Amino acid sequence: MRVLVVEDDAALGPQLREALAGAGYAVDWAADGEEGYFHGETEPYDAVVLDLGLPKLDGLTVLRRWRKAGVAVPVIMLTARGHWHEKVEGIDAGADDYLTKPFRMEELLARVRALIRRAHGHASADLACGLVRVDTRTARVTMDGAQVSLTAHEYRVLVYLMMQKGQVVTRTELTEHIYAQDFERDSNTIQVFIARLRKKLGEGLIVTVRGLGYRMDAG
Amino acid sequence: MSAGRSLHLRLLAAAAVSVTLALAVAGVVLSDLFAGHVRARQERELANHLDQLAAAVEPDASGRPALIRPLSDPRFQRPLSGLYWQVSAGDLAVLRSRSLWDAALALPGDGLTDGDLHVHQTLGPEGAPVIVAERLLRFAGGDDGRFRLAVAEANAELNRAGGEFNRTLALSLVALAGVLVVATAVQVSIGLQPLRRLRSELAEIRAGRRERFELGLAPAEIVPLIGDLNHLLEHSAEVVARARVHAGNLAHGLKTGLAVIGNELDLLDPVAAATLRPRLDDMLRQINHHLGRARAAAAAGLPGWRTEVAPVVVALRRTLLSLYADRPPAITIECSSFLTFAGEKEDLEEVLGNLLDNACKWTAGQIQVSAHTTHDGDDDEGSVGKAASQQQCDTWIKLEIEDDGPGLPEGREAEILNRGVRLDESVPGTGLGLGIVRDLTALYGGRVAFSRSSLGGLKVTVLLPESYQCAAASNFRPPQNWIYPIDIM
Repeated sequence: MRVLVVEDDAALGPQLREALAGAGYAVDWAADGEEGYFHGETEPYDAVVLDLGLPKLDGLTVLRRWRKAGVAVPVIMLTARGHWHEKVEGIDAGADDYLTKPFRMEELLARVRALIRRAHGHASADLACGLVRVDTRTARVTMDGAQVSLTAHEYRVLVYLMMQKGQVVTRTELTEHIYAQDFERDSNTIQVFIARLRKKLGEGLIVTVRGLGYRMDAG
Repeated sequence: MSAGRSLHLRLLAAAAVSVTLALAVAGVVLSDLFAGHVRARQERELANHLDQLAAAVEPDASGRPALIRPLSDPRFQRPLSGLYWQVSAGDLAVLRSRSLWDAALALPGDGLTDGDLHVHQTLGPEGAPVIVAERLLRFAGGDDGRFRLAVAEANAELNRAGGEFNRTLALSLVALAGVLVVATAVQVSIGLQPLRRLRSELAEIRAGRRERFELGLAPAEIVPLIGDLNHLLEHSAEVVARARVHAGNLAHGLKTGLAVIGNELDLLDPVAAATLRPRLDDMLRQINHHLGRARAAAAAGLPGWRTEVAPVVVALRRTLLSLYADRPPAITIECSSFLTFAGEKEDLEEVLGNLLDNACKWTAGQIQVSAHTTHDGDDDEGSVGKAASQQQCDTWIKLEIEDDGPGLPEGREAEILNRGVRLDESVPGTGLGLGIVRDLTALYGGRVAFSRSSLGGLKVTVLLPESYQCAAASNFRPPQNWIYPIDIM
């Protein structure tokens, strides 16, 4: 799961990045509206945290341009004033949720989680496939009730596949959704992650669809 | 408006006084002129009669004067007709007109010399005042043949003519004064028309149906004033807008900082964090409260705010359905489309947004919003009626927001309006929402009340001042009364 943070504050930006990364997301941080717009338009994010008061291009304009360009990523906007006027404007511009500053980080993480879940049509914070269960609130993975320890990348691959349960996910798509932008990408490492996941969670969990990618079957 | 302060009455009074004075002077002068003219005419006439008399009086055999032929004017023959003649020798009347009957004209003794014509006021028969013209007549040859010939006419004649003239004159002058005063009134009214229009435009601006004064048809003397007024209006709007931007920037800066501090607190040792967290929350509450008040107070002083209620409710419903997309409630709206709030849009959005958000948090799925006009003294709103007279508002909008949630615990209604108090900590929120509702409602002189809804949950009733119902100015016109069915997903 990959998240874009667009926030100009030099302290809050890194805090958001750390917190989201700590919750298992691959995070990109843009410090102004133009950069944020560019990232959001070119990279496939699973959620965006967008501040409204941004230099160069304000948050609402960024949002409207994304929606106009067909970028459908769920967006949670951060407002300082918290006026309903802003909320109405934000939602009408295409935001999916809002959070008034200052906010508790847990609150933000819960909202981001809920947005991603909603975007994938999941009602519960728990993902399940066979004996494997993932609690996205705590990033805890269990296999038949016993906790399994995963690295951040393995966790992201697992959650992304579980979110798309029953569908084929290409290797490129996986790469795009588990790495932050500044990360050195190597699509071969995906194979390594898949192999490790199969080792930790059982061979039958992830099916390789030859020439296309991977699929996690329902059940 | 007292008489001393009304331009209209002042101008009228000045015109009435000056017209009366001018006409009075004109009346006196005209009356004098006429009297002088009549008198001169009469004197000329008397002189003619005198000449005729002189020609008709001849000495008889004994040297006494005798009338050899009657005078032409028949009035000399009619007793007490008002026209008389008399011939006197010394103080004794020797010959008199028949009209004198048995009276004689009392002629004042004066040094009458040959050829002089003297005119006097004296008393005639029956003591009536007469005007007398007299001259000396000397018969040729006679030493002592000096006679005073006098012709008199009663003043009554003259007075009657003068009186008649004066009556006519007075009537005409009064009529003229009336016409002049009416003309002045019309003139003043036309002259003050631009001021009246200015006043009605001001009323429209206060009612929010107009943004600035119309310059187009104003006379040159008023144009600078209108320009200044427009400038003033723009200036106050700018000041408010600027203050709002500053407040917004301040809020953004402070709250971003608070967010950072709050996040750092989470990384601290929990005991230290526990002492700092409430301080942080308190700071946030203070900022929200005072910024909100400052903004609202700045806006409340401005005339002309006018917000249509229905579009605001619909926009908020759209927003909330999006925010609560996980479990979208059915929000029923019942709102007359021409209902307008006499206040700022953002304030109405705050009040309704917070109440609706609250309803969405607690509802089991059904929310009802209704907005209606209500008048003073409706059902139990007596206390609001009093506030209304101060606010110059006679109609109110009654907003009712109902949900089917758990409702309020008995007797805790007052508590939830307090700033920062939250009755239930389990549902996210800062506890500021209802405090803002209370503050804003109070600012507009309205009221908030809580009761139990027929849906089972909380019913919040808010009264806010209503603006003029001005359908012509409305761009938003769905059917008269429109109801959203329970239709959502």
